[in-house]
Amino acid sequence: MTAPASRAAVQAAPARSPALGGFADGTLIALAIGAVILWFAPSGMGRYGTYVLSLWLVMAIAVMGLNLTLGYAGLKSLAQAAFMGIGAYITALLTTKTGISWYAAFAISGIVTFAVGLLLGFPALRVKAHYLAFVTLAFSTLVWLVMRNEQWLTGGVFGLSNIPRPSLFGFKLDGALAFHRFVVVVTFLLAVLLWWMIRSPWGRAFTALRENPIRAASLGIDTRTYTLLAFAIGSAYAGFAGALYAPLVEFIDPSPFSLSQSFFLLLMVVAGGAGYLLGPFIGALLGVVLPEWLRFAGSLYLIIFAAIVMLLLIACPQGMSGLIERGWAWITGRNKAGGSR
Amino acid sequence: MKSHWIVAAALSAGIALPASAQDKVKLINVVELSGAGATAGTNFKNGIDLAVAEINAKGGLLGKQIEIIHYDTQTNPGNTRAAVQRAIDEGTYAVLGPVFSGPIGASMQIAQRAEIAQIVGGEAAGLTKQGNPYLFRTSLSQAAAMPKIANYLKNTVKANSVAVVWVNNDFGKGGRDAIIPELEKAGIKVAADVSTEQGQADFSADAIKIKNANADAVFVYLNEEESARFLRAAKQQGVNKPMVGETTLLGAKVIELAGDAANGAKGHVGLSIDAPIPAFQEFGKKFQTKYNYASDHNGMKGYMGVYMIKWATEKQKKFDKKGLADTLRGATIKPSEEPGILMETTIEPNGDLDRVSFIAEVIDGKQVINATLPKIKP
Repeated sequence: MTAPASRAAVQAAPARSPALGGFADGTLIALAIGAVILWFAPSGMGRYGTYVLSLWLVMAIAVMGLNLTLGYAGLKSLAQAAFMGIGAYITALLTTKTGISWYAAFAISGIVTFAVGLLLGFPALRVKAHYLAFVTLAFSTLVWLVMRNEQWLTGGVFGLSNIPRPSLFGFKLDGALAFHRFVVVVTFLLAVLLWWMIRSPWGRAFTALRENPIRAASLGIDTRTYTLLAFAIGSAYAGFAGALYAPLVEFIDPSPFSLSQSFFLLLMVVAGGAGYLLGPFIGALLGVVLPEWLRFAGSLYLIIFAAIVMLLLIACPQGMSGLIERGWAWITGRNKAGGSR
Repeated sequence: MKSHWIVAAALSAGIALPASAQDKVKLINVVELSGAGATAGTNFKNGIDLAVAEINAKGGLLGKQIEIIHYDTQTNPGNTRAAVQRAIDEGTYAVLGPVFSGPIGASMQIAQRAEIAQIVGGEAAGLTKQGNPYLFRTSLSQAAAMPKIANYLKNTVKANSVAVVWVNNDFGKGGRDAIIPELEKAGIKVAADVSTEQGQADFSADAIKIKNANADAVFVYLNEEESARFLRAAKQQGVNKPMVGETTLLGAKVIELAGDAANGAKGHVGLSIDAPIPAFQEFGKKFQTKYNYASDHNGMKGYMGVYMIKWATEKQKKFDKKGLADTLRGATIKPSEEPGILMETTIEPNGDLDRVSFIAEVIDGKQVINATLPKIKP
C-alpha cells in the first residue's frame, strides 16, 4: 500500500505544475460556489454550527498563508500561530483601547505582520530547512513570552476580553450569522487574491523556488526577493486571520498562539495538501471541524482524530488534495502522472 | 475540484444537532479534559458524574433523569467558546465548567447572553468583577482566600518576610496578584517573587533562589503536580522554612506525589476531603471507591456544582433556565436542606461564594486540620 503511494508522491510534484493551469479556473469556480454555500449554510445549524464554520474559515486563512510559505515557496516555518497572535493582539488592542475601526486594525495587522515577516525572513535567506524551522521556533517562543509576560499591554495570562465585532455600512455584525457572512466574504476575497497571485509570474517564481532554487536562479529569478516575499505574504495572511479571530472569539489569551498551535497549522497544511490552493480549506476542515464532529465519540475523540490524520498521511503523503486529485485522475482516466515519467 | 465542497458540505452537515430525549433533563459540562488543564478538568468531571449518578439513583431531578454530557475544551479559549455554544444550542439546562479562568473568560458572555447559569470551577478574582449575573463559582475566589492567608502568615507563622513562588498561568498569576498587596497590607516583606512555568519539571533553580532569599516562610501557589515537584526540590536543596499554600499545596494529589517532602506544608484549604466535616469525608470515600484515587478540590467543586443545580431546581419546582440563575443568586444553601452541598454555602449576588474554610498542615503524609475559619459574613 505504501509503495504506490510514495511513488505517486514523487510523481505528483512535477505533475502538479502543468495541472495547475487546467485547474485554475476550476479552483476559482470552486471558491465562488463554496462562498455561496457557506453564505447560506448556517441556516438551521444554530449558533454553534455557525461559530465552528467561521472558526474553520479563519483558520483556513492562516493555513493559506502557511501554504504559500511551505507549499509554494518550500519554507518550513513554525511561527504561523505567532504571526496570527500578533495580528489578533494588534486588532484587539486597537479596537478595544483606542477605538480605531476594525478595518483599519485589520490593515495594520496585515502590514505589521508583513513587515515582521520581512525582518524574520531575512535569516531565511541564510538558513534553510530545519535551521529555518529553529529560527521560527525561537521567534514563536519569543512572541508567546511577550504576549504572556507584558501584562500592561497584552493582559498577560488573563487575556483581553470584550473585543468588539466590526460593523459594515452601519450594519452591526454582532450576531453569529452576520459575522459569519462577513468572515465568508473576507475569506473569499483573500482566497481570490492568493489565487491571482499563484497564477501570476510571482506564483510561478515561488513554485520554481520550491522545485529547484538553483535552476530558478539560473533562469534569472531573484531568489532572495521572492523567498522574502513568500514568507512575508504568508505571515500577513496569518495577521489577517488573527484580526478576524479576535472579534470572532471576542476574547484572546496567549494559548491559541503557542508553538503547539504552529505545529497544528503545519499539520493542516500537510493534511490538506501542501501546494494546492484549496488544500488549506480541507486542512482546516480536518483540524477544526473534524474534532468537533467526532465529539459523539466522547473521551476517545482526540485519539480517533489523531488516528485518522496518521492514516491519511500514511495512505496519502500529498494530503487530502492529493488524494482527491488522484481519484479525479483515475475517474477521468487522465492519469498523466503515470505517463509523464 | 467541486468534490472539495461536497466533502465540506457533508462534514458541515455532521455538525447538525441530535434530538434530545423528552423524559430527561440535559446537563452539559464543558471542561478541560485535554491540554494543560486536564488534571483539574478530569477531577471536576468525575465529581459531576458521581453527583449525577447519586441523583439519578434516587429518582432524578423533579422525577426526570439527568443526562450528563461532557465536552472537552482542550484548554483552548476558541474551542471552549464553541463547546459552550454547542451546549446552549443543544438545550442544556445549565452549563457546568470550565475550571481554568482563561477559557471561562472566553465563554462566559455566551451563557450570559443566553441567560443560562454557568457554574464554573475558576478561582481568579477578576471573573466575578465583570458584572455577569449568570456566572457562579463553586469555590472561594482568590480575593476571599488571600486575606486569610496573609493573616495566617502574620499571626500564626509569625513571618516578617515571605518568598512567593507561583505558576505563570491565570490561576497562579491571579493568586500572586492577590496575595502581594495583602502581604504588604499586613506589613510582611516580599523577599522573593519567583515565577515558574506550567508543566515545569525541574524546580531546583527556583528552590535555590528561594533558599537564597532567606525569608521566614515560603508561599507556594502552583498547580498540584508542580507543587509536589517543588516540595521535593525544596527538600533536596535544604529549604527548611515553613511552606505555606492555598488549597492546592495541601491537596491529596500533592501529598501522594511529594511523599515525605510534603510533611510540614501548611496553609489554607477551601475544600478538602480531609476537613473535619463528616460529609466531606464521606464524599472522599465515595469518590475513592468509584474512581480508585483521592479527589482533590476540583472533584468537590464539580460534585457541589451539580447539587447547587439540584437545590435551586427543587426550590423553583420547575426547569426554568433563567429561574435557576435567579434562585441561586443570593441564596444560602444549607446541608440540612440539601446534603449534597456538603457545607453551608452562601452565593453572593456577583456569583462569589462565602463558606467556612480551614487551616491545615501535612503531618506524616496526612492532611490535619488545625483550625476552622468562619464565613466572611457569618
